[in-house]
Amino acid sequence: MFSGFLIEILRSAVESIKANKLRSLLTTLGIVIGVTTVIGVMSVISGFKKYMATSFSQLGANVLYIGKYPWVMGHMSREEWSKIHKRDIVGLKEAEALKEYGSSFKYVSPSILRNMKMERGDKEAEEVKIEGVSEDFSRIINQDVSLGRFLSKDDVKYNRHVCVLGQDVVNSLFPEENPIGTKVKIKGRQFNVIGILEERGEMMGNSMDNTAMIPYTTMTAFTGKRSTINIAVYTEEGEEAKEEIRWILRGVRDLKPNEEDDFSINSSEALIEQFNQLTGTFLLISIAIAAISLIVGGIGIMNIMLVSVSERTREIGVRKAIGAKSSEILGQFLMESVVICLVGGTIGIILGASLTKLISIMRGGSIPFHIPIWSVVLGFGFCFSIGVFFGYYPARKASKLSPVEALRYE
Amino acid sequence: MNELIKMKDLTKVYPLGETEVQALRGVDVKIKKGEFISIIGPSGSGKSTLMHIIGCLDRSTSGSYFLRGKDVNKMSENQLADIRKEFIGFIFQDFYLLPDVPAWYNVSLPMIYNRIAPKERKEKAVSILESVGLGDRIGHLPNQLSGGERQRVAIARALANEPEIIIADEPTGNLDSVRGEEILKILSDLHKKGKTIIIVSHEKYVAERGKRKIYLKDGRVEGKG
Repeated sequence: MFSGFLIEILRSAVESIKANKLRSLLTTLGIVIGVTTVIGVMSVISGFKKYMATSFSQLGANVLYIGKYPWVMGHMSREEWSKIHKRDIVGLKEAEALKEYGSSFKYVSPSILRNMKMERGDKEAEEVKIEGVSEDFSRIINQDVSLGRFLSKDDVKYNRHVCVLGQDVVNSLFPEENPIGTKVKIKGRQFNVIGILEERGEMMGNSMDNTAMIPYTTMTAFTGKRSTINIAVYTEEGEEAKEEIRWILRGVRDLKPNEEDDFSINSSEALIEQFNQLTGTFLLISIAIAAISLIVGGIGIMNIMLVSVSERTREIGVRKAIGAKSSEILGQFLMESVVICLVGGTIGIILGASLTKLISIMRGGSIPFHIPIWSVVLGFGFCFSIGVFFGYYPARKASKLSPVEALRYE
Repeated sequence: MNELIKMKDLTKVYPLGETEVQALRGVDVKIKKGEFISIIGPSGSGKSTLMHIIGCLDRSTSGSYFLRGKDVNKMSENQLADIRKEFIGFIFQDFYLLPDVPAWYNVSLPMIYNRIAPKERKEKAVSILESVGLGDRIGHLPNQLSGGERQRVAIARALANEPEIIIADEPTGNLDSVRGEEILKILSDLHKKGKTIIIVSHEKYVAERGKRKIYLKDGRVEGKG
């Protein structure tokens, strides 16, 4: 029977809110803004996180990139920065040492990147990301060919002029025919097309398929042998592999025991971690903003409930005269403030979700639309608590009215 | 002994600013089940105060009050609420209907606190409204009803939980004599059906309806009719 009573006070709360639509709406504004902020920010961050995670995973999980520069710099003084800048290059010597001595990792490949133009007849592909790699690279980044074959050991050994093309390059240079077996030009040199890479899609809004891979030994003809490179290593041993890499590189680079490492071992996890730190701060700030507007909203609720109690003093008197207990009056007004808050919360969730959707559309769909369910639960939870917390005092005031005085109230 | 109400040496003192007002100065009242009582007296005589105390809306300052053999002074607020809910129906001069809900809902209000199921509530509210001649006004809002009709809704509401006692505070005060007569007729009929009726009024023609009259003056009972 008690649930019937709950439904009845719920009904009475809804009636009373409907009777004062504009006032109730204005009252909920603070709550609406607070919840919109929470949902909006959390959805954007959550969508962005997902997007970053998938993007970074394309760099390859279990892949370490060794190079002169760290990916994650954090706060760095001018001295620290110039120290890194003055490091010796990381070159093929190091890559070869890792390949020869390494035991905790399966595949090693140099990765020498240059953006260059590719040509075929009268067709051109600008700014192609050309990467000089070894035959292991395809397994390191877990990207196979969809047609033809990848680079072979001999291609690398004999500095062959062969290339594997990304799908974008194929689309611009070979709109109709099969490219395998034909020739393309990079900086005036002819390359045989031996394979086409599987499609990768986008990362951070850039196509991952505007690419071509050639043997690193051939690449040095463009870059010279003394340029700094990255070394990609595939390992399933984590920290152990990092230790071994340090040990080998310190040896190759003749570092004394008291000298710091003068190279950086990078991974996609470190990037994700950096990103999470950044969004963490952002999240905290938005939660603070949301908390303030929720509290302001709560005070608004309390204010309007006090007005409502005083307007309905006579009604409270009547209800008491016909047998309502104090606790029942308390429940009625508490229910009303909770319902107002939950209505505000619902509007806020809808607005927050629409906002996220809008941002997602404006960014061309590159950030996926994603509302974490726990943020909705959290939003409702907050609203409920605020309704109870700020509604309690007015509701108690109503419940404590003496029936005779309430009836006499003009 | 079928005494429903037994009050002895009842007093009520209100604080009023710095001083106090003695609304009741030692009242003895006995009312039997099924009686039709008029409480009459000039304004300020304490009749409203007495009515509130009889109806368990208020407590006396001193003296004893037994309702159905039970000591009201020893009851908690919740117990008083239960008494009002189950044994007493109030009718007020200004009707005191909730303005935003239809007649039937006003009538069903006491049943909500009595935990009657919604369907039964509505059915019963409708049948009581029919019994006071408002079968065609069930869905009307109070401001769509005339004064007499509103008071009949209020009577229907007072009857909702089938109380033993009906307390009417100046029930005709806001009505013309024809409508007032209709209301008094309904109260008389209820008395004939066995309800205990207590009317508080300063109007003579209303008071005459009572089978027994209690005159109040300056907080004291002057005589009994």
